[in-house]
Amino acid sequence: MSEWATYTLADFLLFSPRVYFRLVERYNQGLWPLQLVFIAGALAILFATATDGWRARAAAMATLALAWLFCAWQFLWLRYSTINWAMSYATAAFMLQAGLLLLAIRWTQRGALPANSLRRRGGIGLMVFGSLGYPFGPLLAGRAPASAETFGAMPDPTAAVTLGALVALMPQKLWLLLPIPVLWCAFSVLTLLAMEDAGAWAPFAVILVTFALLLVRR
Amino acid sequence: MTFTRRAVVQGLGIGMSLPLVPRAWGQAADLTTRVIPKSEEPLPLIGLGTWITFNVGDDPVLMDECAAVIGAFFEGGGRVIDSSPMYGSSQPTIGYGLGKLGYPKQLFSAEKVWISDSGEGAAQIEASKNYWGVEKFDLMQVHNLVSWEEHLPALFDMKAAGRLRYVGITTSEGRRHREIEQVMATRPIDFVQVTYNILDREVEERILPLAQEKGIAVIVNRPFRQGDLIRQVEDEPLPDWIAETGARSWAQYLLKFIISHPAVTCAIPATTRVDHVRENLDAGRGILPDEKLRRRMAAYVEAL
Repeated sequence: MSEWATYTLADFLLFSPRVYFRLVERYNQGLWPLQLVFIAGALAILFATATDGWRARAAAMATLALAWLFCAWQFLWLRYSTINWAMSYATAAFMLQAGLLLLAIRWTQRGALPANSLRRRGGIGLMVFGSLGYPFGPLLAGRAPASAETFGAMPDPTAAVTLGALVALMPQKLWLLLPIPVLWCAFSVLTLLAMEDAGAWAPFAVILVTFALLLVRR
Repeated sequence: MTFTRRAVVQGLGIGMSLPLVPRAWGQAADLTTRVIPKSEEPLPLIGLGTWITFNVGDDPVLMDECAAVIGAFFEGGGRVIDSSPMYGSSQPTIGYGLGKLGYPKQLFSAEKVWISDSGEGAAQIEASKNYWGVEKFDLMQVHNLVSWEEHLPALFDMKAAGRLRYVGITTSEGRRHREIEQVMATRPIDFVQVTYNILDREVEERILPLAQEKGIAVIVNRPFRQGDLIRQVEDEPLPDWIAETGARSWAQYLLKFIISHPAVTCAIPATTRVDHVRENLDAGRGILPDEKLRRRMAAYVEAL
């Protein structure tokens, strides 16, 4: 039997759920009320994605890039990396994604999908879930409301809103923009499963919906 | 043991007033010890692990909880604290606790080198020393056999130069036992660290006898399978016949089984709770089960 076969998901978890969610709560308390600004930012991206103007699309990509940078610096690097050394690598990946989103300003100039297309509507739905649904996650997972995750502040809703925007706008070089948010969501599913947290379904659903929307023809 | 308190304070960014004079804590007299074969230095049979439990980041509440655990550990006569660069913030948490307690002089510091590039090993050990706030470690182990062929010669050189006292290797959960045996048989290591508990007893066949034959001290990790064993048995009644050993809880039952193996030098249960660290230490007091009772203990748990 291969040595890897002897490992379980829990073997890769370096911290306890209590430590992780206390870290998120303390982070949220430090940021408050900036989370409200971030949610407003997510809604602005949503509005920009729903319009057909290329300036609005460019502004959406730039705002998403800012959100990835903020997550990388404030959450992954300054907080999460104190209990998970692997987050130094994740920080680099998030900064790379921010750079790619800035490049995507050029790649979204061709124009959006038709407003009534299923893919565009689905992408916007994903953005609504990321910006307005995610903060209610603790209620479903039975955690303290202070551990709520908001776009821009926490990686999962930021990835959800980003994937939604990318699916809705279908920029060129989409294959380059998808891997990091999808991989982050997969990492998050595994981490939350290892912590036996019911919130694991959320990033899992984001991955499923993203690929489902990419598979539909229109 | 001497310490560089300044390094800990700088590392943690704390400016609080800490006691500077090393203190002697607790009474180890009634805590059963077993000697390190290569030196005859006695060590209490119960130590303190830090995997997951001490990885609390910079959370001041949780850091104080860990410091209280370390305090209770020394108060109860404990000595061996084990950590690794792999354990997130466990090293600075230990340094914080030691600093708060005034660096108890009975500390036996057990650390690990865990880096595939052996050229970076010395720098990693230096960083670990700064986190702990110690000038040298008592024991430095190659974690999970990572680049052991390159690290071990460097560690033996450090030992010869007086920059550490003992050299060891580690594995966990039964992995790479053949390689562990190879190292034990061919290298002059002082310690080996393996997983051993009432349900994971593979090491009884070859590794523990080899340790006795070669005079290698044995540290036991995962004595409770990271708490799973306790959760598995906690609703079951403790058998009456275990009372003769002084075990009053399942944790003590499980620990007494481990430390009663004559090859075992020290078990390192990890905890975040002061009452649990005291309970664990109490397993190292009183009577240890003999071979007949050990077999009965194992059979009882297997049947649950």
